[in-house]
Amino acid sequence: MDYFAGIDVGALSTDAVILTAGSEVAAYSIVETGANSTDAAEEALAGVLAEAEIVRSQIKRIVATGYGRVSVPFADKRVTEISCHALGAYHLFPDTGTVIDIGGQDSKVIQVGEGGKVLNFTMNDKCAAGTGRFLEVMANKLQVALDEMGELSLRAGREVPISSVCTVFAESEVVSLVAQNHPTEEIIRGLHRSIVNRVWNMVKAVGVNGGVAMTGGVAKNRGVVALMEEKLGQSVHLHEEPQVVGALGAALLAWRASQSAG
Amino acid sequence: MTFFKELRFNFMKDLGGPALMSISRKGRKRRHRAPNPHFGPALKSATRLKEIMTRHYFLSRYTEGAKPVAWVTSGAPVELLRAFDFYTIYPENHGALCGAKKLGPELCAVAEEHGYHRDLCSYARIDLGHYFSGKSPAGRLPKPDLLFASNNICQTVVYWYRALAHYWDIPLILFDTPYNFEEINDSDVSYMVQQFEEMIPVLEQVSGQPFKYRNFQEVVRIARDTSLAWGEVLATMKARPAPMSIFDAFVHLAPIVSLRGLPVALEYYQTLLKELKERVDRGTGALKDERKRLMWDNIAIWYKVRDLADLFAEQGMNFVTATYTNAWTETIRYLDDQRPMESMARVYSLVILNNNLNHRLKLMERLINEFEVDGLVIHSARSCKPYSVGQYDMKRLLMERLGVLSVIIEADITDFRVYSEEQTRTRLEAFFEAIDA
Amino acid sequence: MTQFYGPSRKRYIRQQKQTHGRHPFGVFPAHYPREILWAMNVLPVEIWDPPLEVSHANAHLQPYICSVVKLGLELILQGQCDDLDGFLFPHTCDSIQNLASIVYDYLDIKKPCYFFYHPKAPYRSSSRQYYLEQLQTLASRLEKQLGPLDLSELKQRVQQGERLAYVLRELYTLRARGELCASNTEFYRVIRQGEYLHPDDFLPILEGFLADRKGQADRLCPIILSGILPNPQEILHLLDNLEARVAEDDLLNCSRRLLQPPVAREDPFEALAENYFAMPPCTTKDSPLMERVGFLLQKAAHTDARGVIFCMVKFCEPEFFDLPQMVEELKEKGLASLVVDSELNQGLSGQLATRVEAFLEMIR
Repeated sequence: MDYFAGIDVGALSTDAVILTAGSEVAAYSIVETGANSTDAAEEALAGVLAEAEIVRSQIKRIVATGYGRVSVPFADKRVTEISCHALGAYHLFPDTGTVIDIGGQDSKVIQVGEGGKVLNFTMNDKCAAGTGRFLEVMANKLQVALDEMGELSLRAGREVPISSVCTVFAESEVVSLVAQNHPTEEIIRGLHRSIVNRVWNMVKAVGVNGGVAMTGGVAKNRGVVALMEEKLGQSVHLHEEPQVVGALGAALLAWRASQSAG
Repeated sequence: MTFFKELRFNFMKDLGGPALMSISRKGRKRRHRAPNPHFGPALKSATRLKEIMTRHYFLSRYTEGAKPVAWVTSGAPVELLRAFDFYTIYPENHGALCGAKKLGPELCAVAEEHGYHRDLCSYARIDLGHYFSGKSPAGRLPKPDLLFASNNICQTVVYWYRALAHYWDIPLILFDTPYNFEEINDSDVSYMVQQFEEMIPVLEQVSGQPFKYRNFQEVVRIARDTSLAWGEVLATMKARPAPMSIFDAFVHLAPIVSLRGLPVALEYYQTLLKELKERVDRGTGALKDERKRLMWDNIAIWYKVRDLADLFAEQGMNFVTATYTNAWTETIRYLDDQRPMESMARVYSLVILNNNLNHRLKLMERLINEFEVDGLVIHSARSCKPYSVGQYDMKRLLMERLGVLSVIIEADITDFRVYSEEQTRTRLEAFFEAIDA
Repeated sequence: MTQFYGPSRKRYIRQQKQTHGRHPFGVFPAHYPREILWAMNVLPVEIWDPPLEVSHANAHLQPYICSVVKLGLELILQGQCDDLDGFLFPHTCDSIQNLASIVYDYLDIKKPCYFFYHPKAPYRSSSRQYYLEQLQTLASRLEKQLGPLDLSELKQRVQQGERLAYVLRELYTLRARGELCASNTEFYRVIRQGEYLHPDDFLPILEGFLADRKGQADRLCPIILSGILPNPQEILHLLDNLEARVAEDDLLNCSRRLLQPPVAREDPFEALAENYFAMPPCTTKDSPLMERVGFLLQKAAHTDARGVIFCMVKFCEPEFFDLPQMVEELKEKGLASLVVDSELNQGLSGQLATRVEAFLEMIR
C-alpha cells in the first residue's frame, strides 16, 4: 500500500504525519527541533514510520513545510506552512473559514476558501509579542511551567491588565506586578489577553468567515483559547495536537499531487 | 442649514446648553483625589475653563444642519475659517483629551484593526479609531463638512486628513507651508497668500456664505490679542515662585489652540491672567516650595500629566516653561489685521515645528535664560517626528552651551502601551540626583 | 554581462571629479530637479540604502526613525561623504526634513547644504507657479557656489533627462509584456545605477541593455512591487527563484520618478515644471489616494498581475498611512496585496521569505 508524508520543521518542534492512500491519518510524531533541522526531520520521519509500522520505501511522496522546509533533503516538494495549515485545518474541520495559528516564533491568520485554498493571510511582524515566545519569556519570569499557564489563568478570579506591548517592557512590567503581590494567575490572564489582543488585529485584517480553527503550540493553552473564543463570540475548532495540522496539510498535498499525477 | 436647526443651535448655545450641562454636572459623582501636600492652592479659573471646553464639545452635537463644521489641525490658520462662521473641531485636542482619559490604546487599537500600523502617530490612530467606532469621551464629534490641514506642524496631519477625506468623501483644504530651512522669502510668502485666495471660493461654497473681509480682520485682531494674552499668562511663570506650572498650562492651552479668534478665548485668558498676577503679588506658587525650575520639551505625555506633576512636586521641582505651550504665542502675536493674509502666511510658516533646528535651539536658550531654568525634561514622542528628531543633538548642545542638565523620556503622547514606567522612573531618579548634586 | 554595470560609487565619484571636474553632491530621497544639477556640472549621488551597519547615527536619532534616514546619516558620520562637495535635501517627509536641519545646523559638517521644497498636492495654480520659482531659487543658490547656470546647457540636460526617461519607459514596457530577458535582480541592479551614474554614462548602458535583452522572456507569474525601494535585495533573488516576474513597479526610487512623454516647452524651467507635474502619483507629494489606486490598477491591467507586494521601510509614515486604504481598494478590484516590512539591508528573514512564498502560492 502507498503512503504519503508531511513534515513540518518548526522553530520549536518538528512534526510528521503519514497518510494512507485513502488520505486517512496513519500516524503522527512530534520531536523537538533542536539545533539541526535536517536531523530533526530525519528523527521525526523515523518516529512516524515506526508508529505507523511501515518502512521508508512505502512512502510515495514527501512534502516539507515550516521554517526548516529547505533543510529536508529527502522532500519531494516544499510548501509554506501557510498553505499547509489552511489545508490541514480544512481537512479536519471542513467548515473552517479562518485559521489562527500561534506558533513559537510567529503567528498568522489565514482565510481559507473552497478546498482548503488560501484566500488571504497575514503574519506578525518581527516583534515577539503575540507569539509563543512571549509566553515563554513570561513563564520564565513568573517561574511557572509553560504548559501550566493555561490552567492557572483559568483559575484566576480577576485579571491584571498588562499595558506594554513590547516583550521587553512587558517583562519589566511583570516584575513590578509580582513585586506588588498581584496573584500569578491574574498576571498570566493579563498576559494571555495581551497575546489575544495582539493577534486580534491580524484576525480583523483577514476577517472571520465561518468556522475558526486554532493551530500551533499556543492553541494547547486553554487560557488563550478561552479568551480568543470570548473575543470571537464563537467556539473554535481544536485538534488534540494542534501542532501537527501543518504536517497534516503537507501530507495532504503529497497525497493530492499523486492523485493528480496518477 | 435649516432654520429650525439654526434656532436649536442658538437656543442650546445661549440657554439650553448651560442648563442641561449644570444638571448633568450635578448628577455626576465627583471623585476627589487626596490633595498633594506639595502643591499650592489650585487655580480658580480652572472651573471656568472646564465650563468653556465642555460647552464647546457639548454644543458641537447641535451643529449638524445649523452650522458648517470643519475639522482643523492645531497649527492651521483657523482665522480664515472663522470669517465664514465654521464650527471648528480639533482632532488633536480631542486626541489629547482621550490621552488624558487613558483611552489612547483602546481607540488606537480600533484603527490598528483596520490596518493602521502601530508605529503611526497616535493622535491620528485615535481619530481614525473614533471614525470607525464613534467612541469618544466627548460624547460624539460632529461630522465635518470640510477638513482643513496645514503641514506647518508635520506632514503626518496631511496623510491623516487625506485618509479622512477619502472615507468621508468631503473636501480637504491644505495650507502648504514651505519649511524654513534658512529663510522664508517673498516667493514662499506669495505662494502662501495665493493659497488663501484659492481657498476663499471653496470656503464660500462649503459654508454658503460670502467672504466678509471686515469680519476676517476682526477675527485676526482677536486671535492676535489672544495670543498676546496667552504670552502674558506664560510670562507670569518668570516669577519666583511661579504662580502656575506647565502641567497647568497644558490644560489651559485648550482655548488658544481650539477657540482662537473667538472672543471667549480672549476673555478667558484675561480672567486667568488676573488671577495669576494676584498670585504673583501674594507670592502664591504652584508649589509650596519651589526649589528648582524646569523646562519641558515636546507635547505632553497626556496619560501621565497628573502622575508626573505629583512626582516633580514631591521633589520641589516646577516646570515653568515649555516649547510646546510657547508655540501659540511665539509667532501668532505678530498677526496684523492691516495685512491679514501676508501676516498669516508669515506667522504660520514660522511656527516652531516648521522652523529649522537652529531656530529651536536659540529659542530654547532664550527661554532657559528668561525663565531661569535649572534643568530640562525632553519627551521623545514616538508619535511626533518633527518635534522629536533632533532632540539628542539639542540635548548635547544645550549642555555644551549653557551647562543645562537634561533627561530624555522615551514615551508617547497618548499610547501608553509603548511607555515603560520602570524605565522612566529610573531615568528621572538619576536626573533628580544629578540636579541636586 | 558586466558591460551593463558601471564602476563602484566610490571609484566613480573620484573619477568624475578628476576627469570632468564634476562636483559630486549627496542627494537624499526623493524628488529633485536632477537636470539643473547636471547642467551645473554637479553629479547627484543619491543616498537611499548605503550598505552600512548603523552605529554612530543611533546617538543622533531615536529608535523609531526609519533606516533610510539612519543610514544616510551614518554615511555622513562615518566620513564616507568626504569626497562630496555638498548635499541636497528634498522635502520628502518629516524625518528627512529634520535630518536636513540636524546636518546643517547641528553637525558642523563644513559642506554646503541645499534644501528643495516641492509644493504638496492637491495641486492648484499656485503650486505650479511656486514650483517654477523653487527651481529658479535652487538654481540661483547653486550659482553662488558653482558659478552661472548656462541656459542652453540646461536645455540640453532637460532633453537628455527626457531621453533617459524614454529608454527607461521602453524597458518597463518590454518587461511588462514579458519581452525583456532579465531577472528581477539584474533589472533593478541595472536601473538603480541611475542613482549615481552621470546621464552621459548611464544612457549608453541603458541603451545597450535594452538592445541586448529585447526578446521573448520565460512566462513567469507577474506581480507588481510598490513601496519605497526594492530592499532587501534578497526579495528580488527570492522572486527569481520562485519564478515570479516583477512586471511593473510603483516604487518611489523607480517608476514614481519616471518622467512621462514630454510636452514641448521653449523655456527649460517650464519644461521641468511640466514634467514634474505629469509624473505618477506619490505619497511624498500627498497625491490623492484614488490617483494612486488608479495608477496601480492600470499597471495590473496591462500586465495581468494578480498581486502587489508592498516593500515597506519600517517607520515610513507616508507609505504606511496610505496602506490600509490601498489594500482595501485593490482587494475590491480583485488584486491581492502582501506587505513586507523590514529595515534596510537586514536581509530577508525566514519569516518574510515564507510570507512571499505563501503569497505566490496563493495567487498562482
